[in-house]
Amino acid sequence: MDLITVRNFEKKFGDKQVHKGVNFTVRKGECLGLLGGSGTGKSVLLRSLIGLERPDIGEVIFDGIKIHEMSENQLFKVRKRMAYAFQGGALFDSMTVYDNLAYPLREHTNLTETQIKDKILKQLEDFGLKGNEKVFPGNLSGGMQKRVGLARAIIMGPEVILYDEPTAGLDPSNTRMIQDLILRLKATGVTSILVTHDMPVAFAVCDRIAMLMEGRVKAIGTVEEIERQETNLIAQFAQGETL
Amino acid sequence: MNQTLADSFREFLNFLGGIGLLARDVFRQFFRKGNSLNLIIEQIFQIGHRSLPLVLVTAICTGAVMALQFGLGLQRFGGTLYVPRLVTVSILREMGPVFTALMVAARVGAGIASEIGSMVVTQQIDAIRAMGTSPIQKIVIPRVIGCFIAIPLLIAFANFVSFLGGLAIGVTELNLDAQFYILKSLNNLAISDYLSGFGKSFFFALFIAIPSCYLGLNVKNGTTGVGIATTKAVVTSSILVLVGDFFLTKLFWIIETWT
Repeated sequence: MDLITVRNFEKKFGDKQVHKGVNFTVRKGECLGLLGGSGTGKSVLLRSLIGLERPDIGEVIFDGIKIHEMSENQLFKVRKRMAYAFQGGALFDSMTVYDNLAYPLREHTNLTETQIKDKILKQLEDFGLKGNEKVFPGNLSGGMQKRVGLARAIIMGPEVILYDEPTAGLDPSNTRMIQDLILRLKATGVTSILVTHDMPVAFAVCDRIAMLMEGRVKAIGTVEEIERQETNLIAQFAQGETL
Repeated sequence: MNQTLADSFREFLNFLGGIGLLARDVFRQFFRKGNSLNLIIEQIFQIGHRSLPLVLVTAICTGAVMALQFGLGLQRFGGTLYVPRLVTVSILREMGPVFTALMVAARVGAGIASEIGSMVVTQQIDAIRAMGTSPIQKIVIPRVIGCFIAIPLLIAFANFVSFLGGLAIGVTELNLDAQFYILKSLNNLAISDYLSGFGKSFFFALFIAIPSCYLGLNVKNGTTGVGIATTKAVVTSSILVLVGDFFLTKLFWIIETWT
């Protein structure tokens, strides 16, 4: 069953036509990798799935809901079912790590402060961030900020997670940690879309991979299919060939 | 040339439209669930308490300078006795509210635009939206309400301090008796003298908060954009305070005459 459908998606920035009719679907519980060179509009596409951007033409449908037609106020409800893991973490720098994680819980749940505390401490422990509750984001390393951002994004237990380059700039150990985490979440039935340039991670966690090129999805297939086809665009991209 | 003029005019209309839409959203979302009293109180502290030293210095100097100027000017005609009334009315009706609003526009307007602009650049505003919450409720409304409460209080404080500044100069430089100065100031002072100045403070609060929030939220091109938005916020708020002051004075004048 398709949970997310993107149909004839077109988007222009100034005179530059970035998307010229993107089409793809994501099935429930699936992890779709979105690959493409820099400037092909992967992040814009990802942002459009949660309504942070709107297509000029085309449709973005989530669970039968037409995201592209919704007002900002109507989108609030849909966004509670989705999580967006920003590339840089997008942490609130005026709040501590604890308050960053507490933000969605305080906004959308009726949990008591004690319950919130228990949930946050467990989440921080799972992400290897124990003891950093009172630290402000500015005092964390890039990798730690990314992990806090991810921890905050998934603390509400979303149905869909949109990862925007979750492993970019991380050391191998942190990359492995994020990769394991994505796999763990996937095992719980979460649907996810992963925008990445990190090919080993993409091949390790994605069920299918789509290649964005020249404003369109030029190739899409399962990891097995891509690995079998030497001439496939995605395989060529993975091997660093100029396309 | 025509193209540049047309672009500037379009940009101006966009700005006016944007401000109008933001004001509408603020009004609508103010009555919705999800506003935080703690955030509003924090902003009142940030805007009000932290502006106190600046307002204090500006107000005391305004009062003192006005007393000195009126004193020197009127001394030649033996009109020193009119200084207390002139200074007090000028402060209450114009100088207190306008100078305070200009100082706050510079300090708070710049602060709001740069803070929100930085949040846009670092995707914090996107994060607020992505988590199903409203940046209007979490960021804009606390600042608008903070200004709406703190600026009138700052103006009331500035009026009092300016009066003291004038009194100090009246006593030390113009050799007026302190009791005489106070009595002369308050005698014949109508409540409308105070209200016409104080009433403007609520409009000034909106002239500062809404454009500054709008410019911050619409930052483009990274940190360069933050700098541009900050400068624009100060210029726009100051112009709105000065131009708005004329129309508000006219409005209050009509109301006074009518009542």
